Amino acid sequence: MAELPSLHRYSRQMRFAAFGPQGQQRLRQATALVVGIGALGTHTADGLVRAGIGTLHLVDRDIVEASNLQRQVLFDEADAADGVPKAVAAARHLASINRECRIVAHTADCSAAFLQSLPERPNLVLDGTDNFPTRYLLNDWCAEQRVPWVYAGAVGAEGAAMVVPPGGPCLRCLWPEAPQGAEVGSCETAGILAPAIAAVTAFQLAEALRLLARPDLAPTRGVFTCDVWRGQYGVLPLASGPAADCPACQRRAFPALSAPPPEVATLCGRDAVQIDPPRRTALDLDQWATRLQGAVEQLERTPHLLRFVVDGVRFSVFPGGRALLFGVRDPLRARALYDRWLPHG
Amino acid sequence: MLYLDHAATSFPKPSTVLDAITAWYQELGVSADRGDSGRCATVRRGVQTTRAALGALVGVPAARIAFTSGATEALNLALRAVLRPGDAVLTTEFEHSSVVRPLRALAAERGVRLQILPATAAGGLDVGAARAALLAQRPRLFVFTHASNVTGAVLDAAALCAEARAAGTLTLLDASQTAGHLPIAVGADLVAASAHKALLGPPGLGFLAVRPELDLPAQKQGGTGSSAALDEQPTAWPQAFEAGTPNTPAILGLGAALRWLAATGIQERLAAALAHTDALAARLGADPDVRLVLPPAGARVPILSFVHRRYDPAELGAMFDAAGVHVRTGFHCAPWLHRALGTAGSGTVRLSPGPELSAADVQAAAAVVVGS
Repeated sequence: MAELPSLHRYSRQMRFAAFGPQGQQRLRQATALVVGIGALGTHTADGLVRAGIGTLHLVDRDIVEASNLQRQVLFDEADAADGVPKAVAAARHLASINRECRIVAHTADCSAAFLQSLPERPNLVLDGTDNFPTRYLLNDWCAEQRVPWVYAGAVGAEGAAMVVPPGGPCLRCLWPEAPQGAEVGSCETAGILAPAIAAVTAFQLAEALRLLARPDLAPTRGVFTCDVWRGQYGVLPLASGPAADCPACQRRAFPALSAPPPEVATLCGRDAVQIDPPRRTALDLDQWATRLQGAVEQLERTPHLLRFVVDGVRFSVFPGGRALLFGVRDPLRARALYDRWLPHG
Repeated sequence: MLYLDHAATSFPKPSTVLDAITAWYQELGVSADRGDSGRCATVRRGVQTTRAALGALVGVPAARIAFTSGATEALNLALRAVLRPGDAVLTTEFEHSSVVRPLRALAAERGVRLQILPATAAGGLDVGAARAALLAQRPRLFVFTHASNVTGAVLDAAALCAEARAAGTLTLLDASQTAGHLPIAVGADLVAASAHKALLGPPGLGFLAVRPELDLPAQKQGGTGSSAALDEQPTAWPQAFEAGTPNTPAILGLGAALRWLAATGIQERLAAALAHTDALAARLGADPDVRLVLPPAGARVPILSFVHRRYDPAELGAMFDAAGVHVRTGFHCAPWLHRALGTAGSGTVRLSPGPELSAADVQAAAAVVVGS
């Protein structure tokens, strides 16, 4: 078979027997969606584009900041200085890496409405998010669309990742309810080491390549976990199959697809945005204050609210989860900051 | 829910208003001048009754009342009809966006020259300063609000209209905050107001009243249910200013509201709402962290604005909401006044109670803030 000139760049990958030229052709016809173009998303998007994916959709609502550069590849100091939207900056750098790939940047909130409005159904979805509500949304949408997705998360030196095949077991089978934000660490409060990202995205990317190039092979079953500080890596086997009453992959009710989005409003005439989550959480302001101590500035608890300053924005958080963000006008940016600093279950 | 936002729109409306609106949808369904049936005659009488009641309120013949979609449309039509290229216009720092924005647009489109009278340190308007500006400029028009929608201060509209008349200047009164509270027949050449505030009518309706001697060009053209064979907009009032199908159910609802107000007593309602305003001012004013924003000493409508030393108005708004109290926070569409009030950064919290509150309601509302 005559090799097309442009395929030469993939010669080493095609020489890997299990991948081969046929795998390359399948990858070239494949469409993937990366949700969240931060540390995880830039690593997997970079890998897919170098490997020769056909079409890649990138979605992120946030902008590039200097504190991203430590672990988020595809961005540079100029992107941070200009506050370029992450999806746009990533797409620009990816285009210079491999112009054969079709890359579509979406600066948007990854909501049910966004997923339903995608112009094409992806063959695979990669999780690059930093919050559980979006992961449950991806879980339910992928179950509905019967598209595989690969969950990933990393905090501190630890990371976890898992392939969710269309028939389950899915995220809801393992964790029926999302962990509450104050109970789990975040990169903001617990920090993050870049190699933890590299480790989990290596698993994600390898599974992605196999799912797209060799759909005849079963993906890895189990939860990949790592602690890069302690040098521990492994796959925990799943104890059982899909939960019989799982509302997503078994009962096919997809609760996250019909959940109302939070109400977000820019305050008239102000550089301020109000965010009101639809489901009042049992948000404990004292617990949050403890969690945020040291990570934010001007932390203040009053009888009515919790205030702090971070990323140049002043937060006022009320019981139940309503928050005012002063110093920001763009609702997407405000949502990104809210989910980053007040990740709700 | 405690409702303290009557300056935005009154709530609840009298049940007779809802009945009149529902009756139109269920039993009438036609416009006044679009047909010859008995129904049309019934509707025509109802609309005419509302028009006459408004004419009596403003002091113009009924025919000189044009119904509009609200005070905003009435003000836009009036400003565009009166102001010609290069005209000077005098206005005040108290104005709402429904005056500020069309004036800015006319300054850009027609080179209209704007002079803005500042608020005094006490939060009022100096009639002497207005006189001086009128005599120095001899502007084509003096447009001003009858009362501030931020502080509740009532301007001396009769004196200001008299000064303008002496200078040969036309006057346009924005009576949105006073119609239904105070007499608005104060000698203005044009009066604009909305139906849904203290007049207790439905939203989506307002009116423009124009003195009979004043000839103004129509600003919208369209069907009027009269002179239908003509290509040109009729010049006779109110058809000249009423192109398009009118909001008949709202007009009939406003008619019911005006009858209800006449029977209930406007002055009694105002006195009750002002008593609540005073109680709020007393309770909040006693809190050292609260600054009342220029509560008027003289004539006023039931509005109270304040700021807090430790809480942003937006934070206070969330606190009121959590306590089930509906208030307004921010700039209240009055962009100019906040410079004078020292509240340009974040606006105010505005409480505008209605007469239906109880004394306990007022204390409950104040308790959200006091001692916080």
